[in-house]
Amino acid sequence: MTRIALFRSLAVALGAISLVAACGGGSTASENLAADQTLRFAIIDQPTSLDPAHVDAAVDITFLAEVFTGLYKFDNNLKIVPDGAQAMPDISSDGKTWTFKLRKDMQFSNGDKITAKDWIWSWTRTLRLNDAYASNLYAISGGQDVADGKATSISGLSAPDDYTLVAKLDAPAGYWLTQLAMPTASEVLDQKVIQAAGEEHWTEKPETYIGSGPFKVSAYSAKESIEFVPVKNWWGGDTGKLTKVHVDFHVDVASQVKKFESGGYDLVGMANSPAGPDDVLRYKNDPTKSKILTIYPGARATAVGFNFVTGPFAAKPGAKPGDPTNGAANTNDPGLDGRRAFSMAIDRNQLADIACAHAITCQPATGGPIVKGFKGYLGDNGDPYAKFDAQAAKALYQKWDPTGSKVKNLEYRYNTSPANDKRAQNLQAQWKQNLGVDVKLVPSDFPTLQRDRKKKIVIIGRESWGIDYDHPQDWFDNLFSCAQAPIGRGNDQAYCNPDMDAITNAANAKAVDQAVPDYVKAMKLLVNDVVWMTIDYGTQPYFVQTYVRGAGYNGLYDYNWLGFKLLQH
Amino acid sequence: MSRGTLLYAAQRLVLISLTAVVVSSIVFIGIHQLPGNALASERRNNPATEQALLHHYNLDLPWPQQYLLWVEGLSRGDLGESLVNMGVQITPLLLREAKVSVTLGLAAVLITIGVGLTLGTIAAIRQNTWVDYVASTSAVIGYSVPSFVWAFLLILLTVSGFYAWTGGLVYEDIGWGKIEQIPVPALALGLPYAAIVARLTRASMLEVIRQDYVRTAWAKGLAARVVILRHALRNALIPVVSILGPLITGIITGSVVIEFLFGIPGLGQEFVTSILSRDYNIVIGVFTFYAVLVGLANLIVDLIYPVLDPRIRY
Repeated sequence: MTRIALFRSLAVALGAISLVAACGGGSTASENLAADQTLRFAIIDQPTSLDPAHVDAAVDITFLAEVFTGLYKFDNNLKIVPDGAQAMPDISSDGKTWTFKLRKDMQFSNGDKITAKDWIWSWTRTLRLNDAYASNLYAISGGQDVADGKATSISGLSAPDDYTLVAKLDAPAGYWLTQLAMPTASEVLDQKVIQAAGEEHWTEKPETYIGSGPFKVSAYSAKESIEFVPVKNWWGGDTGKLTKVHVDFHVDVASQVKKFESGGYDLVGMANSPAGPDDVLRYKNDPTKSKILTIYPGARATAVGFNFVTGPFAAKPGAKPGDPTNGAANTNDPGLDGRRAFSMAIDRNQLADIACAHAITCQPATGGPIVKGFKGYLGDNGDPYAKFDAQAAKALYQKWDPTGSKVKNLEYRYNTSPANDKRAQNLQAQWKQNLGVDVKLVPSDFPTLQRDRKKKIVIIGRESWGIDYDHPQDWFDNLFSCAQAPIGRGNDQAYCNPDMDAITNAANAKAVDQAVPDYVKAMKLLVNDVVWMTIDYGTQPYFVQTYVRGAGYNGLYDYNWLGFKLLQH
Repeated sequence: MSRGTLLYAAQRLVLISLTAVVVSSIVFIGIHQLPGNALASERRNNPATEQALLHHYNLDLPWPQQYLLWVEGLSRGDLGESLVNMGVQITPLLLREAKVSVTLGLAAVLITIGVGLTLGTIAAIRQNTWVDYVASTSAVIGYSVPSFVWAFLLILLTVSGFYAWTGGLVYEDIGWGKIEQIPVPALALGLPYAAIVARLTRASMLEVIRQDYVRTAWAKGLAARVVILRHALRNALIPVVSILGPLITGIITGSVVIEFLFGIPGLGQEFVTSILSRDYNIVIGVFTFYAVLVGLANLIVDLIYPVLDPRIRY
């Protein structure tokens, strides 16, 4: 080879190597920070309300947690830590007096100092407005009176000095600390700003939307987008590396993924906006894309609920909702075998495989209504009637309803969505196959289903609960207690077991770690009576760009933004 | 503008206002007969909570009384507050979204008219040549494919395709706010109608270019551009203008899907989300806005006629 030819060959080779290096593979982020620390993502909806007193949906909490402060908060591992309070509360020996020492350096993002009277005003306002999470403050003596409009101040709440808050409770409530840590109704608000801007208008503009969290709103266009920036000189210290967070509202998930893939968004899945099952499956099956997919367990359980006062599954047919249906008060339960048979006839693995994109968007439920990973979970296979046994189910069903007359014209009610449709169709198919029972599917929209559930006229229907906080009290007091059994309340099945209520009421008074065994005992009564036939637990898939650090989900809430950073890419 | 035309426009404006009131009243009454309510929520288990919210929105009043309160608000231009997103005032929200939709719609109309007229004119002038066949076939394909299919194809091409081919240098950024985000959704929205305009223009031009006055213009030695644009096209436009009204209505209604797919915060997307979430107040507001928009669009089209043909007078 001549010298010229050799040089030419080397040049070509070097050029080829350079080209490959320039074009090859996906970008690998360096560990240096990107110049632009703006986090961008979208959500399917928009927050139902930016007012902590009116928060109603999971999507709201992601943003409220960054803008407002409570006495306590959950860290990324769901551990309760002090936030506005200096330390954990001082609780009297009878559990009824809680004393909170407040931080003296707290201030709102406009510089207004925060003292105990701000907390009292904020909590009073929350109770007065009495929306979805006002119940987090019902434990305080006099709180319910304010909620009912009978009082204008909370008799059990006082401030002996500017930085001490004392709450007297009607009864010991071990769960109250967990409720206080939930970033919603118990957050402190700036009375001066809200009264000047107006109760109903203070959330409309960044200038009046004032909180005390590490971030504040810098731009907001209703139903379009919102932007947050860190609060300068935030009392809590370092606000992390992000300089801006931009969120687009009402972006279809498929479009979100497209924009994520073209680098327009940094993640998909935050604020309860997961990618669709088709995209999740595509990512899971792709060796490169699977590295940026994480499927977290979600905090939602889906179940089939049975009516305990009306219809063939009733424990006490004809009873008035709110009257005892089970326990020592009523040991004869004519619907029990039917409920058990229907539950055992469902192969939850098959259902999750078919209805949840090969168990991507949900996992089979075998440990009772409380979701796996949360306090009160019975353990894998802890629900004896979640175990699929077609033969035993059939035998039990035939013993209970030999002529088929009890389930004639049986209707399964549910609210329509692509996922719910698939679940319902699979349930129908399995009941037909394994029990020989024809169940008619009756879809409707959510408000119609909710209206009928509250009237206690849904014989068998879809139930679902998204955990608010990691405490079994959230389940029992909202869904299964006798107090929630009357018409209009949240116990859609009208199940009322005074024995179970006695256990949970006693547990409610204890600190959570001591109370869990009692809640488990109560949950076992519940699963034995098959109040809910829990079928699956939700998941929360996240797509996160390789250059994003700190993003994640702990099963209940997104990780806070303080730990986020964007690397060069 | 002549006095007659001004009077005509004024009468039409009054009719548009009445139409908007009638349409929104029908929607108001109809929507309040639906079972359930928009305030239903998994978490609101306390009847007192629900009652407080119903009271806040006057939903605890008998619906005729609610209607009267709403009409009083409408007379002040106040369409109320969103039921689902508390605190969001509807009138400024819809005004902002209408601006977005009108921008998108105008861009789509420009594409419709620009592409349609150009294709149709070229096809007519080059009748029975390969140019004509290509243009006509393109038009058939154009109106055979619905706008939402165009949207998917364009998203695949301009978002994923361009990004992959150019290594991320050039691609369409889904959303709204930058001028470069207008053409692709406008193309998706306007292409099917451009095809219709092209077909109509071709047919109309073929008729006009055979007229004696056009032959005279050619015989006089006028430039082709002058003959086609000044003499032939102007008269060929009249049938095209006559379909502009329904065409604009079609673009307005077609924008519902396009806005949703492209993440454009316009009236169309609001229409979908408010119906799905049972936000009654916004549904009524959107219908009202659409009634006004369609009415105004048709009025503008009617006012174009006298400009094209001075013989037409109101």
